[in-house]
Amino acid sequence: MATTAAPFPSGEELRPNVASADVHFPAIKTYEQVDEEIINTLRPSLAWFGLLTLAILALLIGAGSWIYQIYAGLGVAGYAPPVMWGVYIVSFVFWVGIGHAGTLISAILYLFRAGFRTSIYRVSEAMTVFAVMTAGLFPILHLGRPWKFFYLIPYPNWRLIWPNPKSPLVWDVFAILTYLTVSATFLYIGLIPDFAIMRDREKNPIRKRLFATLSLGWRNSDKEWRHFARAYLFLAAFATPLVLSVHSVVSFDFAMANMPGWHETIFPPYFVAGAIYSGLGMVFTIVIPMRKYFKLEHYITLNDLDAAAKMCLFVSMVVGLAYLTEFQMGYLAGTSFEQEYWWNRTFGQWWWAEWIILICNCVLPMSLFSQKLRRNPAWLFILSIFINIGMWFERFTIIVPTLSHEFEPWQWGGYRPTWVDMGILIGSFGWFFMWFLLFIKQMPTMAMTEFKELIPARMAKSHAGGGAH
Amino acid sequence: MPGVIAAFHELDAAVHAVEALKKERFGDLTVYTPTPHHEFDEVLARPESHVRRWTLIGGIFGCTFGYWIWVWVSRYWPLVVGGKAIVAWVPYTIFGFEVMVLIGSLATVFGMFANSRIPRLTATVGYDPRFSGGHFGVWVETTPDRADAAAELLRAHGAEEVRSER
Repeated sequence: MATTAAPFPSGEELRPNVASADVHFPAIKTYEQVDEEIINTLRPSLAWFGLLTLAILALLIGAGSWIYQIYAGLGVAGYAPPVMWGVYIVSFVFWVGIGHAGTLISAILYLFRAGFRTSIYRVSEAMTVFAVMTAGLFPILHLGRPWKFFYLIPYPNWRLIWPNPKSPLVWDVFAILTYLTVSATFLYIGLIPDFAIMRDREKNPIRKRLFATLSLGWRNSDKEWRHFARAYLFLAAFATPLVLSVHSVVSFDFAMANMPGWHETIFPPYFVAGAIYSGLGMVFTIVIPMRKYFKLEHYITLNDLDAAAKMCLFVSMVVGLAYLTEFQMGYLAGTSFEQEYWWNRTFGQWWWAEWIILICNCVLPMSLFSQKLRRNPAWLFILSIFINIGMWFERFTIIVPTLSHEFEPWQWGGYRPTWVDMGILIGSFGWFFMWFLLFIKQMPTMAMTEFKELIPARMAKSHAGGGAH
Repeated sequence: MPGVIAAFHELDAAVHAVEALKKERFGDLTVYTPTPHHEFDEVLARPESHVRRWTLIGGIFGCTFGYWIWVWVSRYWPLVVGGKAIVAWVPYTIFGFEVMVLIGSLATVFGMFANSRIPRLTATVGYDPRFSGGHFGVWVETTPDRADAAAELLRAHGAEEVRSER
């Protein structure tokens, strides 16, 4: 006889501070409850309209700044020799990094069977797609003639223009486009069974039709699940090395150049760790208010936040180690160029930016050694804001100090962002949050089918001793 | 093909009903579950999914194409940069890898679609909206002369509702 899943023993004492693959949601009793509570989050509210308006206003500020930049030329963006990469490239690296935690949570934690992933992975995946969409804008914004961005894509053309395949900028195009496509595909595939649930519950005929189309006629049959499970596993297996490769490729933009502070072999793992760290920061920034606003505390439990905070603490230490290694490499490099560069970055011209990152990314996260703070959503939210700020400045200190302090004194200079830079930066947040806010009211922010896997199925006969899974 | 469809509220009842149907040699069964349940895998004993072949072929094709396109471009329009060979294998590995992941992933998705027979945009028999919620469904494709026997068996195992469809 086949084994059947049985409910968890009810009287068992659960260790509240240990988040593992064996997660429990005592407040979620039935499959119908999951559907109802998660679908209820899709009703638009006044606060949501308010936030969406703010996001669109921010986007309009960015769009206005860009239009002015196209009219007046790139000079209005604060570029002045020798610093010809500024806020746009800093923000490009920042947004690509934000995307990384999404794939880490959805793909890598899936392969490791980390149970706490279920609560936060859908939001993280959506965050990944929108963050990469935002990142992709910046190299285009950075172009003097943005309408010619497609010159980087190799295809036979009458202009006889071919990109240079040995350039990291061309590698970037491939890496980012692949990452965007695979992340969006991964997000969509996971959504198909949930779209089917919404199709079957929806009363509005237009939305019903929309969800019927998006669900592709999914029927939850055993054949469909069998192929779905296999495809999802392979997509996760592909996405995992992709996460590592994309930010490694982004790091090559710098590491391939023979410049003080950039030409380092540590850059790929350093960038990947930083990307995951900044993404985790953004996950907290988004998930904690959402959990409160949608009243989903019994889905995104303190155990889940605790587990994610532990991961954040670990990655912060990896990032801290990378900073120390960089200092050591600069000191031991044996060239005055490297040593002067590091001195200038840490105690000279850019000391304020360097100390912002050290405090935000290395000192404040040490608070997560305290279990009480790991389980305090308000503190996690505040900390996440510091991490976001710290990680933006980390990219700033990677890019600007090197360009402003090259080998010869005549190559030394400064950098001051203008209102156009700031307008476009604000616009990028508006663009990101606009898509995100639209997403959370159109599509389920948590995977209903995966939650159902975590709660025991209804049984005709009780299984006192527990059943096989 | 006509058949009988049953909705179950409990997992174990549905599993036992499928076992009984298999024992009575009702061959073509489809089970609907709100979320994957391995209990049915054991009973139905379906073969391994073929999606992995799509993944493998897509990955190999993507990797080959990723290298080939740049080798071709480099030979067609040679650029000597950074002291590297015109066809430089090491940097081209990035393209090989990225395109392998891209085509491999898309092939996996197409493999899933092809094997699951989706997109399915027309109305189909043998499905009930409850199956995406909290119910388990069993669809038995059978000839009219055996439909009553199948319905009786499903009811005996605790089906909440049984109906014939064609």
